[in-house]
Amino acid sequence: MESERDDGRSPSQLRPLSCARNVLHRAHGSASWSQGDTKVLAAVYGPKAGTKKNENPEKACIEVIWKPKTGQIGKQEKEFEMILKRTLQSICILTLNPNTTTSIIVQVVNDDGALLVCAINAACAALIDAGIPLKHLAVAICCCLAEGGYVILDPTKLEEQKMRGFAYLVFPNSVVSVLPKGSSRVEGEPMEHGIITSVTHGVMSVEEYLKCLERGRAASTKLSDLLRRSLQSQLPSDSSKAV
Amino acid sequence: MDGRLANRWRLTVNEKKFIETALASNLRIDGRNPLEYRKIIIKFGRQVAWEEDGSSEVHLGQTHVMGFVTGQLVQPYQDRQNEGMLLIFTEFSPMADPSFEPGHPGESAVELGRIVDRGLRDSRAVDTESLCVLSGKLVWAIRIDLHIVDNGGNLIDAANIAALAALLTFRRPECTLGGDDGQEVIVHPPEEREPLPLIVHHLPVAITFAFLGSEGKLVVDPTYSEEAVMAGRMIASVNANGDICAIQKAGGEGVPQSAIMHCLQLASMCAISITKKINSAVEAYSTERALRKIKRHPTVAGNVSVAGSDVKEQNKTVEQVGGSDLSRHHIERLKLVSEETCSRSNDNDGDIKSSEQGGTSRGESKAMNFLGGPSNWDPYLKGVDHDSLKANVASHGILTQHMEQKEREQNSPKMDTQKRTEDIKQATLATDTSGTALEMNEERTLKDAAKPKNKRRKRASSMNAS
Repeated sequence: MESERDDGRSPSQLRPLSCARNVLHRAHGSASWSQGDTKVLAAVYGPKAGTKKNENPEKACIEVIWKPKTGQIGKQEKEFEMILKRTLQSICILTLNPNTTTSIIVQVVNDDGALLVCAINAACAALIDAGIPLKHLAVAICCCLAEGGYVILDPTKLEEQKMRGFAYLVFPNSVVSVLPKGSSRVEGEPMEHGIITSVTHGVMSVEEYLKCLERGRAASTKLSDLLRRSLQSQLPSDSSKAV
Repeated sequence: MDGRLANRWRLTVNEKKFIETALASNLRIDGRNPLEYRKIIIKFGRQVAWEEDGSSEVHLGQTHVMGFVTGQLVQPYQDRQNEGMLLIFTEFSPMADPSFEPGHPGESAVELGRIVDRGLRDSRAVDTESLCVLSGKLVWAIRIDLHIVDNGGNLIDAANIAALAALLTFRRPECTLGGDDGQEVIVHPPEEREPLPLIVHHLPVAITFAFLGSEGKLVVDPTYSEEAVMAGRMIASVNANGDICAIQKAGGEGVPQSAIMHCLQLASMCAISITKKINSAVEAYSTERALRKIKRHPTVAGNVSVAGSDVKEQNKTVEQVGGSDLSRHHIERLKLVSEETCSRSNDNDGDIKSSEQGGTSRGESKAMNFLGGPSNWDPYLKGVDHDSLKANVASHGILTQHMEQKEREQNSPKMDTQKRTEDIKQATLATDTSGTALEMNEERTLKDAAKPKNKRRKRASSMNAS
């Protein structure tokens, strides 16, 4: 059942995306990512010497600092930091630079729905810009459950507030859109179909959640395509950033 | 943390000597004169209809600062029952500089906040008495958040400009007193009544002077390497009338009185040019905003979904580059998209009407759509935003697809309020024959708008190369 969204998009249509790399001069890597009106700026510094107190010194450590647009840092910001940190930990190759800290700073420029998703995408792009070695990229998407039981993607803030429940999903970036027969499988499922992170709000049944996953995965291939294309064609134009 | 000390950036002795020696022959390391300011670019953030505007982004050379202004109704201070409040929060984000630590603001962050605060509050630049709603009970508290995003030196000046730009474009909702005893405050949302700007009497601009080397050579607007080398610094907040709003010289090398007087004179001259830049940027933004407002009135009475689509407004950037050249481009683009939206909105309707009727209604719809141009302009403008241009030309393919779809969807609810107009073919034919018609094809218009910018860049780079 198709329904009219406020801004006239179809249920599976994403907002216009734009991604820019290398926007800051002092940071080792930076990226700005916007989905519709939601805009996030991410910067990466690292690897720096030393890890924090409770971290494992045999691995690289990732530190995430979330800066809201206005106001003090509260519980929600801390939660976002934690989710982002764990997501990025799973895509970075942590054994390469033990006993170092890589800092990722996320600044919210505008929040119009799907904020965490935007931030994850921006952080990934910033990590690429900094040249931090990654296993694969992470592509994040937000799926909402509307009253009628159908799934809509990439909600605005208004839609998020009206919805029964929504889920932030992060998938690994797939290299091919159609998986070849011999692709690596983990327990009978292709690796590319794995879920790195899933955060849900609200109530939904199991079938609805699985439907969200399906839709999200389909959209994530499109998104990862765009991501790869936009990040690939950038020429290494920046001069040394060490200063 | 011991490990963190190793990460701090220190200027080498060679670089220090180089900067000082170059300055002896009046040369600075980035090629400027000692008394020259870097290029200032002021952008204004996106605005969503139910949120106040009041966000700005300032690029001063490599320094990047964002300012956000928000307002809240609070109880006034006990000793100032009739005045509103002005609060300044500065965030030295760790993304600006590897040496900035997150958490509690350090002393330079506090100093920056205090200088901006003194410039605005003590000189009464912002009229706080007009912020009073109900004496002794409710006043507006204006909160300015300054985020330092990139430290390229001279954060104080950049932050000050960002704060001023954000204050000038901030709009607070109108409140009236109502209720039985006239004690109840009704806050009107922006759809009902136009939000009001703040009353700003003058603009105190901060100018930073750095004293380098043993003779105390003076430079204006130091970069961060010059800041690492400088022996002393003075910040003067001056307004365009020549009034000194604040002077800050916190320690550092002693400077003779004549040098101070010289600095103040220079500061007034710099302040005049910076004030002009701020004012022209704000004016350009306000006119665009006003154009968008005009569109709102005819459609607000109609569909709720239309208001919803209006609300999804995109990034507005007003660049302080060539001035007239860019504004011409903007006007061209405005025309381009108004034609584009007109044709596309006609495309959406399948109904066939007589050409005559179609002609008149098209004329109407064209007029309405032209006024509606800017808001539908925005998703399109996003595609030719600086950043996304930097990103990828290839990705424009997907981007344009997204945006076409989005605009089509945006326009279809719009059409609900207007009369059903004519056929696709008729529309395109008719608009082609009309004198003001430009390219109808969506792909071409987007790329057409993208091309001038690219061309400009190529031209600029070829000029530099030649």
